[in-house]
Amino acid sequence: MKLNTDMQVNRIADEIWEIPASEKAGMLVPARIYATKQILASMDSGVFEQVTNVACLPGIRRYALCMPDGHWGYGFPIGGVAAFDPHDGVISPGGVGYDINCGMRLIRTDLTLTDVQPRLEQLMTELFRRVPAGVGSKGFVRLDRLKFEEVMCKGARWCVEQGYGWHEDLSRIEEQGCIPGADPSKVSDRAVERGISQLGTLGSGNHYLEVQVASNDRIFDPQTAAAFGITGQDQIVVMVHCGSRGFGHQVASDYLKVFEKAMRRYGLVVKDQQLACAPFRSPEGQDYFAGMNCAANSAFANRQVITHQVREAFGAVFGRPAESLGMDVVYDVAHNIAKVERYEEGELVVHRKGATRAFGPGRQELPDRYREIGQPVICGGSMETGSYLLVGTDQAMRETFGSTMHGSGRTMSRAQAKKSVRGEQLKQQMAQRGIIVKAVSMSGLAEEAGFAYKNISDVVETVDRAGITKKVAELRPIGNIKG
Amino acid sequence: MTHQFTFLEDVALADAAFEAIGDSPSELFLAATRAVIETMVNPDTVSASWRREMEHQAPDLASLLFDWLSDIVYLKDVHGVVFHEATAVVTEDRPHGGWKARGTLTGELIDAQRHELRADVKAVTKHLYDVRHDDDRWVARVVLDI
Repeated sequence: MKLNTDMQVNRIADEIWEIPASEKAGMLVPARIYATKQILASMDSGVFEQVTNVACLPGIRRYALCMPDGHWGYGFPIGGVAAFDPHDGVISPGGVGYDINCGMRLIRTDLTLTDVQPRLEQLMTELFRRVPAGVGSKGFVRLDRLKFEEVMCKGARWCVEQGYGWHEDLSRIEEQGCIPGADPSKVSDRAVERGISQLGTLGSGNHYLEVQVASNDRIFDPQTAAAFGITGQDQIVVMVHCGSRGFGHQVASDYLKVFEKAMRRYGLVVKDQQLACAPFRSPEGQDYFAGMNCAANSAFANRQVITHQVREAFGAVFGRPAESLGMDVVYDVAHNIAKVERYEEGELVVHRKGATRAFGPGRQELPDRYREIGQPVICGGSMETGSYLLVGTDQAMRETFGSTMHGSGRTMSRAQAKKSVRGEQLKQQMAQRGIIVKAVSMSGLAEEAGFAYKNISDVVETVDRAGITKKVAELRPIGNIKG
Repeated sequence: MTHQFTFLEDVALADAAFEAIGDSPSELFLAATRAVIETMVNPDTVSASWRREMEHQAPDLASLLFDWLSDIVYLKDVHGVVFHEATAVVTEDRPHGGWKARGTLTGELIDAQRHELRADVKAVTKHLYDVRHDDDRWVARVVLDI
């Protein structure tokens, strides 16, 4: 098998490949990649370089991991997972990414395709009007500095207190939508200035709001699906993909600079500038963790305000309050974050960059309703091909620090995608296939064409066969809003 | 005096990478600034009704360009603007060592109806970041997180 690396890559199981620690000077642990043969062969050289660079970071435990949607990122590969001992290990903004707590939220409804199809154009217009998207978009929530600090500390809980959501939403969000330890004094004025008017906005790039259908023939585990509120019968659901917007981007940028200096102070040498890191227990490490948690909470709040707007839009179009449409949150989960979590080694600082928490049954962090089943895992595909709902497993707890894939993974650059199709042309093609698209940017739309991504079904099959998450349902798009 | 930029197709799959070239540091800054502006919007659709003076100092040219471009991303979010054009004059900061840049950025409050908007840049990154002086031209490779 021809790979885009000269490194030795050993097969551990059908979907697990290992690069021994002897393959690169400085590796402290082996690197493991979850992939089929075909996916491994398609991975770019950057994945192999970057996952082995991560394996060199101080305090790393067990393995540096990469999920099957992995591709070249900054510092860590996208799809990267690594856990560090909090006593002698590091925390790295490069292991989280610029869009802190970029994540996915899934909202169910009692509506069916038959209910929605006749009003789909109206619904998408209403959603597009209520959920700002695109370059520099601003939300309807007006905040002053003190109120924004409350958002940083309380996350989605702040939104529910203000009436932007239902109390029961909170238990269906990772960390109940509020990670402790956020400290607004650890974020810069520039970060606040960038984020203060952006609550409830999608952004652009691969972020989206999508109306989807859950059909009976695409439900793989009816019992788990039912426990998640997914009943099939052409049920309508809504998926949201976005993060902490300019606020989180600035927190990440600020601390990359801080860490470049801190590394010299602590004598840390890394293989890539974007792997800038600091000891987790150092003042710089703790400051970043506190600032990152502010951004993570603001991202939970962002998706909560968007949920409020989605419910308002559905209520307006169908002439009934969202409560009577059964618009419960299924789950909300981050895929760009660093968190302290407990494993057999004790507490570890788990970095997930383009990787999703996938806790198996029994974890106390899960809400009562999901504790015996496992955590819902939401993976977004391209806007043309559909997305997946999966469930976390015990095997993920043992093998991947309770982590799995997050999406399809790009295989084509944005520039190449734009050369291959025009946005207007793609919009028309999708309309012919029954998908209504509302986009702020036509060039941005072209960049997100389905052919620019791996086939998400291949990626999902990999994690399903590897056992680190199991398929529950595939969700087919019928309406998409993009920045 | 000339400057130009090219978007790079095979670098940073999920994001936007460009190479900027100028026959002086000032021209290099103009080329890189234009690349950042054009990543966000078609500048021909934007007027110059908003204006901002920019001034930066840094110990080296690479740090100066990084801070300069990062400031454009910051101004986009804080003022809710996209940009039409920029001027830049880059000189060695002889009394203090290092480099300084001065210029003007013009643009307009974002109007999705009139502006041909493109990508919302999250950050200027250090991924593959490179600024060099080749013979008689200055070259920068920059990856923007999208």
